[in-house]
Amino acid sequence: MRFSELARRCLKETYRDRLSLGFLLGFPLVFMLLMGVAFAGDTAPEYDLGVLDQDQSQVSQAFVTEALATAFEITSYDDSSQALGDLKAGEISAYITIPQGFGAQVYQNWQGEKENIVLDITYDESDLIVKEQVISMIDAVTRSFARIEVPVTLNASPIHIESEITYIDFIAPGIIIFGLLILIPTSARMMVRDKEKGVLARLLTTPARPWEFISAYSICLFAVGIAQIIIFMVVAVLFGLDIVGSAGLVFLVFTLTALCCIGIGMIISSLTKSENQADPLSWLIAMPLAMLSGCWFSIEFMPSWLQSIANAFPFSHAIEASRSILSRGTGFEAVTSDFLFLVIWTVIVFAAGILLFRRKMPI
Amino acid sequence: MAVDSINLEISRGELFSLLGPNGAGKTTTINMLCCLLKPTSGTASIMGYDIMKEPFRVKELIGVSPQDTVLSELLNSRENLSLIGRVHRIGSKELKQRSEELLETVGLTERAKDRVGKFSGGMKRRLNLIMALVHSPEILFLDEPTLGLDPQSRRAIWDYIAELKGKITILLTTHYLEEADVLSDRVGIIDEGKIVALGTPDELKNNISETNTMIISAENLSTEAIDGLRTRDIYTEVDSSSGNLRVLGKDLNFREIMDYLHSQGIVVRSAALEQPTLEDVFLQITGKELRE
Repeated sequence: MRFSELARRCLKETYRDRLSLGFLLGFPLVFMLLMGVAFAGDTAPEYDLGVLDQDQSQVSQAFVTEALATAFEITSYDDSSQALGDLKAGEISAYITIPQGFGAQVYQNWQGEKENIVLDITYDESDLIVKEQVISMIDAVTRSFARIEVPVTLNASPIHIESEITYIDFIAPGIIIFGLLILIPTSARMMVRDKEKGVLARLLTTPARPWEFISAYSICLFAVGIAQIIIFMVVAVLFGLDIVGSAGLVFLVFTLTALCCIGIGMIISSLTKSENQADPLSWLIAMPLAMLSGCWFSIEFMPSWLQSIANAFPFSHAIEASRSILSRGTGFEAVTSDFLFLVIWTVIVFAAGILLFRRKMPI
Repeated sequence: MAVDSINLEISRGELFSLLGPNGAGKTTTINMLCCLLKPTSGTASIMGYDIMKEPFRVKELIGVSPQDTVLSELLNSRENLSLIGRVHRIGSKELKQRSEELLETVGLTERAKDRVGKFSGGMKRRLNLIMALVHSPEILFLDEPTLGLDPQSRRAIWDYIAELKGKITILLTTHYLEEADVLSDRVGIIDEGKIVALGTPDELKNNISETNTMIISAENLSTEAIDGLRTRDIYTEVDSSSGNLRVLGKDLNFREIMDYLHSQGIVVRSAALEQPTLEDVFLQITGKELRE
């Protein structure tokens, strides 16, 4: 098969180009190592959290002792002015108010009825750590406790915390998606380099067909993507990532993400003439996408218009879906819309990439 | 416009050179014949296959050695050769034999397993050439095969091309006059996208040389003898300087001049009718030097 020959060549070159290969796999690993070392441990860094339980139900008490207490150092308050005083004094990082009816709401979620959970969180706006981490942790812990995305088919469950949401659980999906976003510059570079150096022109004087070139590049880059995913997941697990849900399902999410990035890279390579053009352009696309999609910190605290932009791209969906599968154990049904979004994007960018690549071919 | 209506027919087994300055349209012509560029109008056919209608038939027949050395620096010579061979669907056994043969011919056997990135310019160039030959093409396009090579490597490549001559059809582009002169069956001089002269190297030279030049080196040259030559109308120009005599004229007769000098008692050390070079041809036809 011609295309397998062409793909073999790309793979050999990728494997032998140690500097690029090291960068491709190493960059995200360094990120993960840094984040892992900085925040590793069986639990997240201890933050002091004030709790004002106005519900005083069995459920709310369980929420405090069995869910929140796993992630935070808890101080209980009876009235808000006292809590506010301690927050101002820096004794606690934030305090949450559990409103009346919380227990009933959670119970309804356990029964399979979707019900919003309302919690009031008071924190110092200028405290970025709270903004980024404490709130996401509360969010994750609460979702996990209330089983907000657990499908209806499950029966009412007793109070049970599935896993402790650690910082690595929170950060790993984003870092993995970031690693896959590096496939954009990688694929753009691989394809534009052949064009720039005349390799493509030389191979175009052979009977190889356009589709054979496209599939060769795709196969090679896809293999690179799969290798990335495996390495990232293994490293994340070594750093304490708990895979609560289906590893296969989360692998599928990452695979689709990888394909989507390859498609974007293909488009960039068709629009540029040289590595010098393709490289900055693809980083200019990959880096803001990484930030916007929440690879490094949660996007929930960005202005809503920015969030809408972020959600128009598939990567925030990929992070959300993988995070929810990984740490909350949600099944396919709960992430169907994220999945669909990824699939549609992948199909569109791939189609556009192939068309553009094909259009630039002479015959 | 790089190429402006070229009409050309090259016979099977012929070695045809396109000679012209940089930017004359040599590479553009080759690229169109290799189906890398679509001509805005017109077409060409190779072994009966139209380059516009049946490009893949054409691509099966041709081998191309591009002007810029195009190799994969991360692969070794064998891998580079087998990539081209396999894309042409050559069987493993044949491919291996053919690769060894070609590597041997250009003296790369010992470096067959080294990555091409470590090669010298000349070695890369040689590999670039044999990559066009690994699938035994019937038609070979050589775009400036010896560009930037040292004289020794150039000579080696010329020898190899000369060996191929007659076995396969070769279209060679060059801006080295000597290369075109030594190798070609026919030469087409191309300038500003047009073929301005076409023929065998000898035909081209003879066509332009209405005036021949004879250079004579002699002892005891006397002014009388020189003046004697000057009186004859058929010699348009007679110059002499320090024992050298230059005679220009239409249809110079070597014998006649020699007899005359002998009759004057002059001892001739050497005498030669000077052949015009392709450079002269080029200069006369286009009015410019080849290497600008």
